[in-house]
Amino acid sequence: MSAHLGPTPLRVVGQRVPKVDGVDKATGVAQYTVDVRRPRMLYARLLRSPHAHARIRHMDVSRAQALRGVRAILTYRDVPPVVHAGQPQPRAGSLARDQRILEDRVRFVGDGVAAVAADHPDILEEALALIQVDYEVLPAVFDPFEAMQPAAPSLHGTDRNLVIPPFIVRHGDVEQGFAEADYIFEGRYETSRPMPAYMEPDACVCEFDPSGRLTVWISTQAPFMVRGSLSEVLGIPMSKIRVICEHMGGGFGAKQDLYQYPYLCVLLAQRTGRPVKMEYTREETFVAGRSRHPVVIELRQGVTRDGRLTARQARFVANSGAYASHGPGITRVGTNALASLYKCPHVYIEGLCVYTNAPIAGAFRGYGAPQAYFALESQMDEIAAQLGLDPIELRMRNMFQPGDRGPAGTPFREVMLPACLQRGAELIGWAEKRQRPADPGPIKRGVGVACQLHSATSYPAVKEAAGAVVSINEDGTVQLLIGAADLGTGAKTVMAQIAAETLGVGLDAIRVVSGDTDVTPYDIGAYASRTTFIAGGAVQRAAEDAKRQLLDLAAQELHAEPADLHVTDGVVASRSDPGRRIAVKDLVASPGGRSARTIVGRGTFAPRNDYSFAAQFAEVAVDTETGQVEVLQMVAVHDVGRVINPTTAEGQVEGALHQGIGYALMEDLVVDGVSGKALNANFADYKMLTALDMPKIYVELLESVDDLGPFGAKGLAEDGVCPTAAAIANAIYHATGARVRQLPIAPDRLLELIP
Amino acid sequence: MHRFDYLEPATLSEAVALLAQHGARARVLAGGTDLLTALKEGWERPDWVLSIGRVADLRYIRYDSRDGLRIGALATVREVETSPLVRKHYPVLAEAAGTLASVQIRNLATLAGNVCRASPSGDTLPALLVLDAEARLVGPSGERRVPLARFFVGPGRTVMEPTELLAELVLPPPRPGTGAHYIKHSLRRAMDLAVVGVAALVALDGETCVDARIALGAVAPTPIRALAAEEQLVGRPITPDAAEAAADLAQAAARPITDVRGTAPYRRRMVHVLTRRCILRAAELAQSQGRLP
Amino acid sequence: MKRPVTLTINGERQEVAVEPWWTLLDVLREELGLTGAKKGCDRGDCGACTVLLDGKPVTSCMVLAVQADGRQVVTVEGLAAPGHLHPVQRAFVDYGAVQCGFCTPGMIMAAVALLNETPHPTEAEVRAALTGNLCRCTGYAKIVQAVMAAAQHGGAA
Repeated sequence: MSAHLGPTPLRVVGQRVPKVDGVDKATGVAQYTVDVRRPRMLYARLLRSPHAHARIRHMDVSRAQALRGVRAILTYRDVPPVVHAGQPQPRAGSLARDQRILEDRVRFVGDGVAAVAADHPDILEEALALIQVDYEVLPAVFDPFEAMQPAAPSLHGTDRNLVIPPFIVRHGDVEQGFAEADYIFEGRYETSRPMPAYMEPDACVCEFDPSGRLTVWISTQAPFMVRGSLSEVLGIPMSKIRVICEHMGGGFGAKQDLYQYPYLCVLLAQRTGRPVKMEYTREETFVAGRSRHPVVIELRQGVTRDGRLTARQARFVANSGAYASHGPGITRVGTNALASLYKCPHVYIEGLCVYTNAPIAGAFRGYGAPQAYFALESQMDEIAAQLGLDPIELRMRNMFQPGDRGPAGTPFREVMLPACLQRGAELIGWAEKRQRPADPGPIKRGVGVACQLHSATSYPAVKEAAGAVVSINEDGTVQLLIGAADLGTGAKTVMAQIAAETLGVGLDAIRVVSGDTDVTPYDIGAYASRTTFIAGGAVQRAAEDAKRQLLDLAAQELHAEPADLHVTDGVVASRSDPGRRIAVKDLVASPGGRSARTIVGRGTFAPRNDYSFAAQFAEVAVDTETGQVEVLQMVAVHDVGRVINPTTAEGQVEGALHQGIGYALMEDLVVDGVSGKALNANFADYKMLTALDMPKIYVELLESVDDLGPFGAKGLAEDGVCPTAAAIANAIYHATGARVRQLPIAPDRLLELIP
Repeated sequence: MHRFDYLEPATLSEAVALLAQHGARARVLAGGTDLLTALKEGWERPDWVLSIGRVADLRYIRYDSRDGLRIGALATVREVETSPLVRKHYPVLAEAAGTLASVQIRNLATLAGNVCRASPSGDTLPALLVLDAEARLVGPSGERRVPLARFFVGPGRTVMEPTELLAELVLPPPRPGTGAHYIKHSLRRAMDLAVVGVAALVALDGETCVDARIALGAVAPTPIRALAAEEQLVGRPITPDAAEAAADLAQAAARPITDVRGTAPYRRRMVHVLTRRCILRAAELAQSQGRLP
Repeated sequence: MKRPVTLTINGERQEVAVEPWWTLLDVLREELGLTGAKKGCDRGDCGACTVLLDGKPVTSCMVLAVQADGRQVVTVEGLAAPGHLHPVQRAFVDYGAVQCGFCTPGMIMAAVALLNETPHPTEAEVRAALTGNLCRCTGYAKIVQAVMAAAQHGGAA
């Protein structure tokens, strides 16, 4: 079952093939959840709390109920009182059940308190306004450090408002490590609250057929998790739930969660007997979506005179907002990331995840690592500056070796950071630009670097697996069934390439079916950086299984040994006697009138994990009179193992850089510290970079030889966003001498720090 | 979206009559980009929306050297931005128009609408102020002309009566030797709202500044002129020191607030930096104007 | 009260009864089944709903359907004959400019409008013309490449 790294040249893998669904998307034909319309469909929306923390004394829906066109209203009295986890991932040991579909208590501005279904969206706003809610406002807390104080209001009755007990990573003895240090560096790093801001707002359509079977069209990264959660919480057997997500307009992690709305939409459909659609407004995606966690990291490191790390101690304090969502998971990943990246003999890291009355933080690209690496890589730059070492040299002196254990506890098979650093330095002209004399005038340029390493999967928190089915049609074309959803990354295309390569058929012979729980094999969901790695491995195995069946059949038909046969362009032929050949389609359905054969290949893949590496370099120009930062260029060198499709792989890094630069400079959902209201819950005031704001980007993909994943592929999706903010902060330091330890690096804040 | 009845007069007099009839219960729709946002958010809840979109003869940009520039109420921001007349005679206005939102929005939004919206950060307003623009208003009792310097009353508020329409913006012809510049200070390079906007106009006679106008956006309840800063410049050459001194006075004139787009101290500081830069750039442009044949 | 409006959409005249507060976007999507134009923000901030109105790109969420009465509308569905691709659509597919695809119809319409006006734009002009269209997946890199490539291959077709 090893990967094909042998001498056989690859035909499809490694090629820049266009996306299999590109034409559908470019012509507007592709149907997203928001495009779904059903006959007699109702429209629904949530009433949301204006208070950050309150108890509901009384609700009166009678006036709303009387409005013409209103078909159903649900309040906490009308829903099953099940406590659930909000995020449906079965993350062993990191799951907190703290959410209800509706409750007589609200914990953030935007918490849902009622749902209305009506004939037309026009009516909804008025109906919601007619619902009277009598709130008893409770004290609220927004800062995680305040929330941990004994006097703080308690959100869920846990000790110090902690979501989970502190997560500790410890090896060696930090006291000893600090004693061995010549210098000790200390810093407090604070990160912001960026939003995934996927372009397709959250949406679902729920419909029961007369026999009680439920179909849910939903914009989700994890159709099987949606099915499982709906089944568990609403008590509907899985066989009676079909979850469909054919095309989705981005997710970036957040669309793994199951928010309140799909539960309510199902219940409204149940109550009215009609299909019901719920679609978030853009504002709702901000206030009732999931952000990246704001984190405060207190980091202290000891280092010798010659730049060797001796000790690292840190506290990682994540603001989970009102519910746990992925707080437990990101705390684990972020704390592990803080313990890693460079070799350090004595480490003690404490990860805390704290409830507050802020909007809910969840999974968003990087999952704790962007925060950790912002702190760690900023401090590495501080150490280098203080010791008079080149930042690359300092990193090289503390580099891991193959066999050392990575953040997931598994050993590195290869450490590609030195290669990434070296290539990136060449591409950006590091040596020359670091020596460049200071610019005259108020605009100062500088270059900086930061690294990351990342595990493709959630191992060991989740022992992941993916499944795939390959079925050969009578004409020799192929149905490829994968459970993984395609968020828009190109997963379907990459899966098709892996199947075509393995089977020896053309790419256009493959039809990829995904995102339908009635049809595809199980998949835990498209999250982390796992789909190419794990689902791709399953596809490869399924295709190998189907191919083996084909070759066995062909061996009988051709009186040949299976080992002597190969499949090329849909034809099975003998290597030793090329004249002996038969088309795949004739193997499946013989021209003689016999019924077609069933050839179905199955594959599952459950690896542990693999590490990918990157070094990113930023060149900036800082206006020292206004504090404005222009990123002039980004160089991103990533080791991702075998590149299945260079175009989609580059696209992952390019898109991650968009989010990473935004994270560094401007993206932040600002929550008022008194009211708990989000102050910029729209695209005018939540700043995402436009096409004019994006700098020149150079992406280079290094392909280490590693045969664990399909054809040697590793994960990539999250990596690109992890080191970007630190690379930019370090470049700003090089340009100006200002060390910014808080994100985003807003002009006013930077101006105060410029010496 | 707030629900309303819709009126669509075909002539200006019909529009004025309808507005007189419905007055404060009506809102005027031209391009709609501001009004639709207000209706969707529920900030405005009029019974009537009166569209002037089909009123004949309001969509024009005309120029002659004696009367200057006339921009009809329906001329879009994009038309102003790309108009050869505007680009030639009032380049700062084209420049400012080009900073407003996106091409898609500029194809809908009207310049007159941007004026009537009276946002403190309105992108075209500082430029119109330094160009001494006037608004021609028509109402039930006839017409009046109001200089924009006296037009804005507060955020979203103007001297217009609920029964009045802005029919036209009028800009006097530029004097020779004039340079003007607009700096929009925002986090993004496009699709953004000004944290601070500064427009400066400088007229030179040889080396000597004979006329100067400075307007500031997003630092007071309305866009404002920095009159003391202007006076500081007139009668002497525009040197870095002179610009610095004027910038001090402009900064003193600013009364910014702190909001999610920027803090008051930062805005004040930016008024200084940007005013200095804007004056020096305007002077450069004035000098190159003077060198033209 | 609903009133009839006549729209010429992708070359076909259509009469449709609309409420005065309905946007052109909602009428295209909900009444006429043209779901290519997407509702990404409903405030004119993201550009996913971009269509051509009398040849000019506009955010259709910021236009009332009654304002569009009697006018020409082109949506992404109408750029090319069935089974064919407009050169800009072709380039978006070939250059990997499409990821999740939700911004794609609006992005393509903005690009088509640019090339109709400026058949051979500079990269800076392309970027400026696309600032009204937010994309969360691509960092715009391959989108800009695609538009430049379409321009070289006669994208104004």
